Amino acid sequence: MMSFEEVEHTADRAFRVTGRDMASLLENAARAMQALDGPRSAREPSATEEIEVEGVDRESLLVNWLNEILYLEQVRQCVCERFHVAELDNHHLRVRVETHKSDRSRTHIKAVTFHNLHIREVSEGLEAEVVLDV
Amino acid sequence: MCSFRTEAVVLSKEHIKRVSEHVWEIPKTFRGDMRVSARLYADEGLLDAALSDNSVWQLVNTATLPGVIRHAIAMPDIHQGYGFPIGGVVATCFPEGVISPGGVGYDINCGVRLLVSLSSVENIEPYLGDIASRLYANCPSGVGAHGHLRLSDEELDQVLHEGSRWMLDKVYASREDLDRTEEFGRIPGADAAFVSDRARERGRNQLGTLGAGNHFIEIDRVTEVYDQPTAARLGIYLGNVAVQIHCGSRGLGHQVCEDYVSRFQKTVRDYGIDLPDRELVCAPFDSKEGQEYFHAMACAANFAFANRQLLAHMIRRSFEEVLAGKIKDFELRQVYDIAHNMAKIEEHEVGGRSVRVCVHRKGATRAFGPGSNVLPSDLRDLGQPVLIPGSMGTASYVLMGTTEAMRQTFGSTCHGAGRVMSRAKAKKTVRGNVLREQLKSHGILICAGSMSGLAEEAPVAYKDVSRVVEVVHRLGIGRKVARLEPVAVIKG
Repeated sequence: MMSFEEVEHTADRAFRVTGRDMASLLENAARAMQALDGPRSAREPSATEEIEVEGVDRESLLVNWLNEILYLEQVRQCVCERFHVAELDNHHLRVRVETHKSDRSRTHIKAVTFHNLHIREVSEGLEAEVVLDV
Repeated sequence: MCSFRTEAVVLSKEHIKRVSEHVWEIPKTFRGDMRVSARLYADEGLLDAALSDNSVWQLVNTATLPGVIRHAIAMPDIHQGYGFPIGGVVATCFPEGVISPGGVGYDINCGVRLLVSLSSVENIEPYLGDIASRLYANCPSGVGAHGHLRLSDEELDQVLHEGSRWMLDKVYASREDLDRTEEFGRIPGADAAFVSDRARERGRNQLGTLGAGNHFIEIDRVTEVYDQPTAARLGIYLGNVAVQIHCGSRGLGHQVCEDYVSRFQKTVRDYGIDLPDRELVCAPFDSKEGQEYFHAMACAANFAFANRQLLAHMIRRSFEEVLAGKIKDFELRQVYDIAHNMAKIEEHEVGGRSVRVCVHRKGATRAFGPGSNVLPSDLRDLGQPVLIPGSMGTASYVLMGTTEAMRQTFGSTCHGAGRVMSRAKAKKTVRGNVLREQLKSHGILICAGSMSGLAEEAPVAYKDVSRVVEVVHRLGIGRKVARLEPVAVIKG
């Protein structure tokens, strides 16, 4: 089964993502956003960064997490790979991420939105639909 | 206690009452959480288009915001956004009504600037390719693009507080440019203390850059003049060169919005505000949180004014680099600069009294009529110029604000064509390089950073801007002055 699929949105971009649990939902959502943002090539050497986010609930964690990835990729011009969730509860997330300098600064996603965002229980685990402002 | 609700109520045309030929209303009784009715300004075809996605549902959601006054309003270019629909106008009572960062959007003070020349397009046509190349080189594009200015911390603070006025000291702006800019290029209330370090980091090197998505610089020909005396007062003449700039506050504005939308997820709980969509998070304007967002939003708005000002300077330089000594009268004068994503404190007549309100315009343009004391003295008898860009390769319009807009829509009108096709579908339907050749065969030169980005912005993905403009003209919430058609487009 595909962990994500693009969903039609008139003005922006959106994807539906699933994961067997919250950690895998977060990881799959990051990959979905990267896929929609287009291919890019990474250059060695790599570094390990720790991303730590807080949120009022799981949805906030998801948005804040994706925005952190966006920040690293757009502003620091990195490609983020190999996510390892080190800590996770409903209000706090800490992830170790491998980052590679990228030769591509051109991305078109401005931000990750909360629009109609609900993390639902489904037979595969958890599912969410995320709208990206482009 | 707060919750974010999802309701399985279906919205269809039967729920919508026709108030007049071009005004449609969803009554307050449609959904229990609506505080006011919702009004949509459209002809029947545009209404049907709006009903084809979630935009009208999003309009209904905005009618639930605490303190909303009169109606939640949508313009004929309404289309699906996130939180607010694009084309939405919501006024809240001041100071206790709410301000919503999602109601302004991530591209704070995205807007349009129009420059015109006394030269005809015919005169510059032999040099058009060179001008487009210079524009592409001088006005960097793409989401993360860096500009030519490197600002110190102190200079960045000055830009955030002073907007285009900072550009006057640096000789990137003239006094006339400032007079011909909404709010004279500087929104009051800016305080950089409320802009995060990350927002500063994202914006620091981006002044004078175009961005991506639907942002562009376009060289146009004036192809029709509907009101010659008004057009002449604005320096607009048939057949002459015009240049439009469409962009906003870049990464700095995106980060300001992101910071406050994230923070307000808790704020709405603290204030017991119940919302149908989390992107609508808000705070009372007079609360600490509401004030802090407003101070930060004003900074981002000023950054956007400064950004379009620097781009205007770079465009003038590009024209000079190519045309100096070759043709006469190529100098570009500013007609006006408008914002179409903003929340502003304005005076409007409500219930027969003049009151201050917080007007959110999300993909809608301020359209103040004649007599407004916020207009420069030389335009006060005419009203405010309104700039309506079309989709790539199609016409754009110059309108004037009207008294009727003041009466009906809190001095607001449409902002563009409005999308009807998703970006994903546009990319499947259109090939960027084929589109570029098609536009070239119609005499439109395209410089674009990405062919897939170009495909996303194909004219087929948008409504007919002329139809949108016709509706606002007939409603009297904008008066047609001139029509522009592109000869060269620089895309982000």
